[in-house]
Amino acid sequence: MGFISQIQDQMLFYQSWIKNYQNIIQMPLRHGPIQTFQNVNKYPWLWHLAKVNRLLTIVTNGRQGNYRRANAAVVEKIVPNLMHILDNLVQNTDRLVLHEDMVPPEILFAMGLKTWMSELLGILMPIVDSHSVEKYIDIAENAGIPPDLCSLPKSTMGIILSKEVPPVKAILTSNSPCDGGMASYQLIKNKLDIPMFQLDVPYNFYNDRAIDYFANELKRMIAWLEIHTPGKMDWDHLRVICEERNKMAAYELELWESLRQRPAPLAAEAIYLSHLWCFNVTPGDPSGTELFKYLVELANDNVQKNIAAVPNEKYRTVLWNPPLLHFIDLFSWAEQQYGLTLIIDSMSYNRQPFIDTSTIDSTLKGLAHIMMTGPMARHTRGPAQNYFNDMFYIYTYFDLDMIFIAGHIGCKNTAALNGILREKCRKKGIPLLIIDYDLSDPRVVSHDGIIQQLDRFMENIMNK
Amino acid sequence: MHNKLFAGCDVGSTTGKAVIINDNGIQGMAVCHSEIDPEETAKIVLAKACASMGTEIAPKDITYLIGTGYGRREVPFANENISEITCHAMGAFSCLPDTRTIIDIGGQDVKAISVGRKGEVIDFAMNDKCAAGTGRFFEMMANIFRMDITDFSNLSLQSQKIIPVTSQCSVFAETEVITLLAKRKNPADIAAGIQSSVAKRCFTLMKKVGIQPLVTITGGCSKNIGLIKALETKLRMPIQILPVDPQLMGAYGAAVLAMKKA
Repeated sequence: MGFISQIQDQMLFYQSWIKNYQNIIQMPLRHGPIQTFQNVNKYPWLWHLAKVNRLLTIVTNGRQGNYRRANAAVVEKIVPNLMHILDNLVQNTDRLVLHEDMVPPEILFAMGLKTWMSELLGILMPIVDSHSVEKYIDIAENAGIPPDLCSLPKSTMGIILSKEVPPVKAILTSNSPCDGGMASYQLIKNKLDIPMFQLDVPYNFYNDRAIDYFANELKRMIAWLEIHTPGKMDWDHLRVICEERNKMAAYELELWESLRQRPAPLAAEAIYLSHLWCFNVTPGDPSGTELFKYLVELANDNVQKNIAAVPNEKYRTVLWNPPLLHFIDLFSWAEQQYGLTLIIDSMSYNRQPFIDTSTIDSTLKGLAHIMMTGPMARHTRGPAQNYFNDMFYIYTYFDLDMIFIAGHIGCKNTAALNGILREKCRKKGIPLLIIDYDLSDPRVVSHDGIIQQLDRFMENIMNK
Repeated sequence: MHNKLFAGCDVGSTTGKAVIINDNGIQGMAVCHSEIDPEETAKIVLAKACASMGTEIAPKDITYLIGTGYGRREVPFANENISEITCHAMGAFSCLPDTRTIIDIGGQDVKAISVGRKGEVIDFAMNDKCAAGTGRFFEMMANIFRMDITDFSNLSLQSQKIIPVTSQCSVFAETEVITLLAKRKNPADIAAGIQSSVAKRCFTLMKKVGIQPLVTITGGCSKNIGLIKALETKLRMPIQILPVDPQLMGAYGAAVLAMKKA
């Protein structure tokens, strides 16, 4: 890597860093000093989110050229979006709806409602600061929540129990993706004492009857929201949102196509963090489409110039389950240590990316399909075959060398599946690493402990 | 001694082991108690292995040395260090090429290893978080019975009826065993319960990597006859006894790898 390129990479970092801080500072300027002081006092987790620019350091560390640009662009998308979500703490709070991450926000946006994804803090905070949700996990456990429950709903419940939740007016949830998540919403409802609607996802969803049933569930949810909130459905607006989402999905498919190249032109956060944010938090946002368009351009540019995201790419892997929230730097370390490239994760892989917006019914059916067959939803519910089919399809499609499972100890659903997966991988001769860890709590398995597992795997199975 | 010499030095948590080989097979071997400093352990055991050859051979005469075991990174005079998982697999494979599954029970951890047709590691699972079922656990149990470890490992063979020891944790297991002894239960039956509970733990670990014959056992606890019998009962298949001291298998595998690499 040349000296000029190094300077350019460093300049890119500083430009991005300044841009992000400008966005962060604008929020208190919008709210004014008194309101900001009150907010920080009422929502102490704001201090952690104020450190969101750390994410830039994490995702650009050791990355060069277009790969670095792509990762910086993802953070530049997240920061202003997050600040605008935080505006919901004080603005239009009568329209603020708390929703589970499995409930599509497209419908809420189309109804003119403001969203507060309940799990957002539990996901984002450990990414920004590894230890930031430990306090909330302890609060939940001290209140009697079983310690072996998934730490994501535990941290969400801890925030609710601490009364640090924004002034939401209604709750939307579903029976996905797991028992821990479902149980947490009963506590949320009891503590907040506001109306709650729970969507019923059918067990076996690969048939028209299930899609019709769940589209009807979405209709029931819309009717319920029109009664319990000031929101009114604007079907044209929903169509526009879904069409924008489709555009973004089309770019994502193009991006995936480029990832099949060996070596891959982009990897890791540029692929999974972009999806996690744009498809789950801000679907239908034109800036998300712009981001994916930019990622495709960067990837294609690297392909044309034969530049690898990871200069010494030796191994390619998929990460199954959510990314290691408190240790997302694992893969920048693995890239440098072993030339190990994270091509995609299971949360990003969506089998049904498009929504048919020709009619209201087809739009709702498209949303229903996306939600029922969404990542995690289809892996922790329904037949076990969903899990294995996706896994081995991705392995072949992206020409991978191994499968990594983020073996989150709180995920009972996948714990059972992983035993069968071990046998299947052994029969197929696919190297498999199941990383023992906890999704949000680094006290269970430390970063060193995770690295040790990866080292052992690389040394003994991959002979590195 | 005109052949080149190759050695493996396994610096374990409880013992240090060294094996020296040449084209004609094993020439020297030694076991010693681990010192606090792993480098010191390696020096001592290697010197002992050289001495066991009965010639003027010194560690400096070894062509290629591979360090293994938990302290392997602290052996500065080794040419290379390789994980004990890989070394145990290669060691057992070199002794018995049909070996497909290994249970390695060391002083402070237990590993199940699935071995390929070339002696490579296909999969492994390990318990390095809990002392139950390790060499230390057996030392503790033998101490309760006021026996040395050899007598304790043979005790369960006299059992008429196994008394299950259900505690998963070594501390609670100690309490449970003391209580059973105080109730004047047959010590042999209690010992059989202990061996059976460890065999169950090993079985669970081995299932993770898939149990394929031939199955063999390595590590210091491979000398525990009672455990081998309990494990054979649980597996419903025989455990192959290795022709080389199974406690030395990590060091032997390291020596074989040293010969291949040199």
